[in-house]
Amino acid sequence: MSGGDAAVTKPVPVPDELTAPFWEAANRGVLAIQHCTACERYVHPPEAVCPDCQASELTFREVSGRARLYTHTIVRDNVTQGFAEDEPYVIGIIELVEQERLVLVANVVGVAPEDVRIGMPLRVTFERLTDEIALPQFTPDEGD
Amino acid sequence: MASELSGRAAIVGLGYSKLERRSPRPLAHFAREAAEAAVADAGLTIDDIDGLGTIPNIAAYGNTGDLEGIDIVTVPNMVRMLGREHGIRWHVQTPGLCPDTIMAAAAAVASGACTYALVWRAVNVPKGRYSDFSMAQARGEHQFRAPYGFTMPAAWQSVALRKYMHDHGSTREDMAAFVVQNRENTQLNPKAYWCGTPLTVEDYLEAPMVADPFCLYDCDIPVDGCVAVLLASAERARDLRQPPAYITGYAQTTWPTRGGFTDSENMWEGGAALGEKLWASAGMGPDDIDVAMLYDGFSIFLYVWLEALGFVGRGEAASYIASGATALDGELPLNTSGCSLGEGRLHGMAQISEAVLQVTGRAGARQIEGAAHTVATVGAGTLASGGLIFSREARA
Repeated sequence: MSGGDAAVTKPVPVPDELTAPFWEAANRGVLAIQHCTACERYVHPPEAVCPDCQASELTFREVSGRARLYTHTIVRDNVTQGFAEDEPYVIGIIELVEQERLVLVANVVGVAPEDVRIGMPLRVTFERLTDEIALPQFTPDEGD
Repeated sequence: MASELSGRAAIVGLGYSKLERRSPRPLAHFAREAAEAAVADAGLTIDDIDGLGTIPNIAAYGNTGDLEGIDIVTVPNMVRMLGREHGIRWHVQTPGLCPDTIMAAAAAVASGACTYALVWRAVNVPKGRYSDFSMAQARGEHQFRAPYGFTMPAAWQSVALRKYMHDHGSTREDMAAFVVQNRENTQLNPKAYWCGTPLTVEDYLEAPMVADPFCLYDCDIPVDGCVAVLLASAERARDLRQPPAYITGYAQTTWPTRGGFTDSENMWEGGAALGEKLWASAGMGPDDIDVAMLYDGFSIFLYVWLEALGFVGRGEAASYIASGATALDGELPLNTSGCSLGEGRLHGMAQISEAVLQVTGRAGARQIEGAAHTVATVGAGTLASGGLIFSREARA
């Protein structure tokens, strides 16, 4: 993807017991979000116990990948390794259409930072980092 | 009905180290300087101290150093520096923010677990760039943020300001009004890092953007330094050198930051939950407060706390500040010492110390006449946040 010193890579997610299904799905180009069997609400980031109803049976469910921009920031003075050449870049708080305030972090790509607006429709796309990890990213959804 | 702990403990001494940036002195020296100053302020000696508490966390996020005496100053280190290996009867280390530690110390002196408890917070400016994140792998909570370059606290909080501006129609000029007012207060506080450096609205609006809409002056100023407070029971407090600042209200929150500051509404919800507990513990409400020291590690927190504690309604903080209500001569003087933005990044101790000084009539040129109850909050409203109410009288 974007260049930079070959020795300095962007941080790569390390899946764990709670998050492995999320990253396995992303690696297949699918956005899957943890879902509570009891109260049928989505949960992100994944948790051991449902924060809404305290049930412990949680599975992962494929979602549409459609979203709106909840809010965002434009980073101009970066401190994360591997991002220096990306500045300025947009970090979006992405609200998935499946549930109010079901938000995740992603870069908003394919649009100039000054054209990014709260509320704009977005859809998921995937950025490959390694053989095992593809990052969900979001780009403007021009509609169907 | 106030809590049974209300009015039973007090802050009786306050001590500051010098506040510097990138000092060659080890942080331990700052901590000892503040500790000795707090004890002397109360008219006591080191040999009177039998309780110790601190927050052992490093000052910044990311993978900065955690060397004892340089990046952190823990209880065992302070015990050695004070030569009190045989005299400390009670101690605690609470990761998080200082209200947790002060509450624990208040309970300890009120119960008799110890007589005089010293609580300090020592922070430094880490080597390298502040908040550097230089890990090739993103584990745990980092895995959904760091791969996107979302590792800097300023970026985490800036999304909340953008949403606030969008939802409530406020502007960067509105925020400039607070930051400039705060810098004016700072000029009356000789120990503040930014004392002697005024700031204009133009300076704010033209400052470099860090994480748009946050500019440099929406972030507090990192310093090397330490603040210490000394606590005693209400009974003992009456006989010491300084007027006591009785702790009449306190609250901690357990509100989660779900998703790690992604959904900024969490801050208002957590702050409101904390506020309910805080007012109930003191048997007071927002109208009882004469001066407020609300956490301003980032500027947006002022809006969170003013609204979550009920000083104003949701979405009204920006216009309330712009009206002049929070100036030194306003109805609710706010952050009269400059606090984190003006005095320095002391992780909430700037709030605690100024709330103590105001309620005891010791705030010098910025003293608000007749301040009988002050409030200090620390944190973002969510996990680790806390609040304390200080009163001039212990109340029954």
